[in-house]
Amino acid sequence: MNDFNLPGVSRRQMLTRIGAGFGTLGMAGMLAETATASVSPLAPKLPHFAPKAKRVIQLFMPGGPSQVDTFDHKPDLEKYAGQRPESVNRKTLRNTKNGLMKSPFGFKQYGQCGKWVSDIFPHVAEMVDDICFIHSMHTNIPEHAGAIMMANLGHLQPNRPSMGSWLVYGLGTENQDLPGFVAMSPRAQPRGKAANWGNSFLPGAYNGCYVNVGQMHPERALRDLKNPLLQRGELREQADLLARLNKVHLKRHEKDQNLEASIQAMEMAFRMQFAVPDVFDVSKETKPTLEMYGDSEYAKGCLLARRLVERGVRMVQVSHSIDGYDIAWDTGHGDIVGGHARLAKACDQGIAALLKDLKQRGMLDETLVIWGGEFGRAPTSEGQKGRDHDHYGYTVWMAGGGVKAGYSHGATCNFGLTAVEDRVHVHDLHATILHLMGLNHEKLTYRYSGRDYRLTDVHGEVVKEVIA
Amino acid sequence: MTNRFFRALVVASLCVFGGRIASAADTKDEKFPPEQIEFFEKHVRPVLIERCFKCHSSDADEVEAGLLLDSRQALLKGGESGPAIVPGDPQKSLFIQSVRYLSFEMPPKGKLRPNEIASLVKWVKMGAPWPKDGVIPVNVPTAGEKPLNWNTLRQAHWAFRPVGRIAPPNVDNATWPKRDIDRFILGRLESSGLSPAPTADRRVLIRRAYFDLIGLPPTPEEVDAFISDSQPGAYARLIDRLLASPHYGERWGRHWLDVARYSDGFGGFIDGRGQPHAWRYRDWVIEALNRDMPYDEFVRMQVAGDLIDKEHGAVATGFFALGPTYISDGGDPVAKAQAMSETLDDRVDTLTRGILALTVSCARCHEHKFDPIPQLDYYSLAGVFNNTNVIIKPIAPQPVIDRYNKAQQVIREHDARIRTRERELKKDGRKPTAAELDELKKQRAELDQLRKTAPPALDSVHALVERGSADMKLALRGNLLRLGPTAPRRFLRILTGENPPKFTNGSGRLELADAITSPDNPLTARVFVNRVWMHHFGQALVRTPSNFGTLGEKPTHPLLLDMLASRFIEQGWSIKQLHREIMLSAAYQMSSRYDERSFRADGDNRLIWRMNPRRLDVEAWRDALLSATGELDRKQGGPPANNIDVPRRTIYLKISRNGDQVQPDGFMRLFDFPQMRATVAQRTPGAVPQQYLFMMNNSYMLKRAELFAARLQKERQTTEQQIDRAYRLLYGRLPTAEEKQIGLAYLKLDNPGDQSGRQKRLHQYAQVLLSSNELMHIE
Repeated sequence: MNDFNLPGVSRRQMLTRIGAGFGTLGMAGMLAETATASVSPLAPKLPHFAPKAKRVIQLFMPGGPSQVDTFDHKPDLEKYAGQRPESVNRKTLRNTKNGLMKSPFGFKQYGQCGKWVSDIFPHVAEMVDDICFIHSMHTNIPEHAGAIMMANLGHLQPNRPSMGSWLVYGLGTENQDLPGFVAMSPRAQPRGKAANWGNSFLPGAYNGCYVNVGQMHPERALRDLKNPLLQRGELREQADLLARLNKVHLKRHEKDQNLEASIQAMEMAFRMQFAVPDVFDVSKETKPTLEMYGDSEYAKGCLLARRLVERGVRMVQVSHSIDGYDIAWDTGHGDIVGGHARLAKACDQGIAALLKDLKQRGMLDETLVIWGGEFGRAPTSEGQKGRDHDHYGYTVWMAGGGVKAGYSHGATCNFGLTAVEDRVHVHDLHATILHLMGLNHEKLTYRYSGRDYRLTDVHGEVVKEVIA
Repeated sequence: MTNRFFRALVVASLCVFGGRIASAADTKDEKFPPEQIEFFEKHVRPVLIERCFKCHSSDADEVEAGLLLDSRQALLKGGESGPAIVPGDPQKSLFIQSVRYLSFEMPPKGKLRPNEIASLVKWVKMGAPWPKDGVIPVNVPTAGEKPLNWNTLRQAHWAFRPVGRIAPPNVDNATWPKRDIDRFILGRLESSGLSPAPTADRRVLIRRAYFDLIGLPPTPEEVDAFISDSQPGAYARLIDRLLASPHYGERWGRHWLDVARYSDGFGGFIDGRGQPHAWRYRDWVIEALNRDMPYDEFVRMQVAGDLIDKEHGAVATGFFALGPTYISDGGDPVAKAQAMSETLDDRVDTLTRGILALTVSCARCHEHKFDPIPQLDYYSLAGVFNNTNVIIKPIAPQPVIDRYNKAQQVIREHDARIRTRERELKKDGRKPTAAELDELKKQRAELDQLRKTAPPALDSVHALVERGSADMKLALRGNLLRLGPTAPRRFLRILTGENPPKFTNGSGRLELADAITSPDNPLTARVFVNRVWMHHFGQALVRTPSNFGTLGEKPTHPLLLDMLASRFIEQGWSIKQLHREIMLSAAYQMSSRYDERSFRADGDNRLIWRMNPRRLDVEAWRDALLSATGELDRKQGGPPANNIDVPRRTIYLKISRNGDQVQPDGFMRLFDFPQMRATVAQRTPGAVPQQYLFMMNNSYMLKRAELFAARLQKERQTTEQQIDRAYRLLYGRLPTAEEKQIGLAYLKLDNPGDQSGRQKRLHQYAQVLLSSNELMHIE
């Protein structure tokens, strides 16, 4: 009947003992340890089995980057340009009826694996021997709003927890001075906004923290980090006063977990005021590192992602955007050349630098990097030079974190429209990501409204072939 | 029990299935030449076995889409989407389209090799030859098996049984019980060897009662008056006074708005639009509760208010009309159907989880896996809402509406004339004359004048309106583009029995409202009294308040729940009477004191041996802050405030659907205000560090601290008096010696003459008291 009895020393007793030091030594360090040992919902938890990866960086590309103009090279497009063979005669979102359009970009082979990559990703191309491409992705619908939710929540409607929330719920996080899940983007948030990092029905502690890297100042990376009036010493004094009064109150209300959790949250808040500005301050990086990333806003997000995971943050999502557009890659409707070339240029160097940086620091092995959007774009043309949405087949790639390097999995048809070999649904990708993190996607459940929910709902199979 | 439901339902669905076979499978045996049979055996059967049978044969663990591919007859009959093959015509054969990945993408894990597809095409072109002896018998039950026995099912689970009229049990301790409620609770405690906590002291009781009933703290003077009231019945009078307060509706209205997933935002896939008139529904709820509108009427109005009271009732249907209405953001028919089905699902889900605590929405794509809710019953309810539209309805008297429309028409016409004239002048390609320009200028001035003098925008509400009276068809796997049998509009069979009367009057909402509030419905009253109990005790009797199905929790006190529900109905569904019943009990008046022995036996307090200590929700906490600083604006109703700086009660702050559109969203979400996307069963309060960042650093809190400090200084002279006053205002009590000492030490200055230093210190101290656990928690 009672699930909450704890063996040995109660948390309250622990707090009482520590309480001797209130106001004198400050209780930051000591409480932090007891917090992670028992109560905090963010404390590290054991995975279901030995993980390959310990943290995730998701490079999210909302709007639908075109697979056949980036990483899924299809020479047949040139050969059959203008034609509309039966296999591509499928309904797309706008039901375009045009023939095939060859990629306006050149492709070259790179690396030991000889991967063909489009000329718009020259930096990422240099890293292909570290990348595992999945060319056979497919999803449910060709509309952004729903497909973006599917990509980040595993559900078409914005009423489920995000993948990052599930990860922190399942694994906790390794740094109790920082949030466990950080989402970033330059200026525009991806369509669906907060739902992309939302906790939905999971407890609030698992909500992602959003940071706008476009206009970010380290001291204002999160809301309310900086007190406009008080210096650090005064802040400490004030925090100690609050802790002390709360402890007096707690003495009258033994075994109240809410009260204990409040006291710990307050202490974590105190530490965050100093830890967060520090981690978001990229000026602390060396010049070579800064130069490697370049100065685009997206690159800054990539660099911050490294700094965050380096300090134990469980998951970082960096969404792409330029011109304040929430589905940036959708500029491909009208013009692949203009839209895609600019978008790739704005993120290519930063992404490649992130992979190199993680590798140099020996972190890539345990950091899973994922690149991709909510769907791809059709190989047939829309208008003169654009492409319509394609949910039948698209490309996502992963690197590090226990996936095969220099490897390509699955395939679309010879024109790139439809995934036909070793198909991977978004649910399968999610199952695989959880698996790499040491979690069984069928066992990571949360009971809400009378039933157990999962990131993968009732679907998903781990794609074993991509695991090293 | 779960298994029994499930098995019973599977049988039922297969009965339907079997019935269809009987009519479709009477094709005569055909003879095929040996070379064609050989082709089948060599090129077709291996593909079927290897790539298809895992999901589409009678040996499959779970047959997908009702499609079997292990006999020719089965292929001809097909599955949910119709026949799989048209012999001789591969183009028209869904099976071939699917393996070509042109409609479905089969097999889902990877396309067949081109030569395999070519073989299948050739085989269908031949007429789909199949060896006579090689037919694998299709193992499908035939029609005529037992149908679901609804009477049995309705007895099988506690929540579906009729509400019992239960006499309270006998108890040993005859002095403790004050009301019947107490005998139910004491009975359980005694049989577990536990005893109830002592009665809370009056200081605790008044604070608890204030926050519970009106969501505001008592003033120090009110606390004093209650503590010193030595007349009998002081506590009952306190309850009556609070129930009569207009603030009662604001507190309990907010609880209902959680059930109604109320928001000022439109919702759907994206949250781009506001619902400017949403607040009128919010005000309707508040007023209805303040008037103690009987709960059955309260529900009936929200389902069919526009039909019950044509003049004033439409506003109540905001319960549905204000929900997320999904609109496809493209022209894709699949996505459009998806949007429609999401919208219907919102209505069915809010109705059934919110009012009936049933997860009918689980039966949208298939039979409910755990409760006796067939998919057909989902569409019986969805069909009601499929016959409605959401409109913005003016609520002014008709002459006012007519005047408004007339004026708008005049403005439109005048505007059109000016535009036409402008176009003409432009077309001429010459410079207009001064006279022409003057004329235009005059007309524009007239237009401005018309606009200025036009009657103001009409008061309106978001409401449901009738559209038709047609049953909808069951959507196979929830896909409105793939239709199954017709689902007659009617109430759930698990709540009514085998043959519920069909709804025939318009959309059927009025009949639906009657069915929901029928005293024979075992759920409506139980579900509501359980919610009320939850808000009084912090935990419900059924701890899954929106799921009374087999996966929900069982009631901790089933007999008590039934006593409360039956009495609720008997007393005319009076909510205020229900509050009295609960709050006058000895159980409600227990202390929340910790007790080692009881805690060890029942740490979760399922037996209710004490009152649960509780954390305030964001509304009560912010309102308490504003009460302490003296800022609270008690004005009631009207359009929502766009900013948390407006010192109105928190229920009047504007809230978007997703919680990320308007200024108050961030604050509200930070303190566990749920996303108003779906009906909310229970708030899940939790302490997160960001809340303390807000409390310690946000200018909103700095400002409140400043105002609170100013009030203390204004009302009391010495530091000591100010500390006393602060504790009385915030916590309704005086500080202990220790607390006072801590305060004095903090406020002591090295240089007593440093006025600005003293001021700053007092602000910091005030901020700490406002941020304390004690303010946010009630005993």
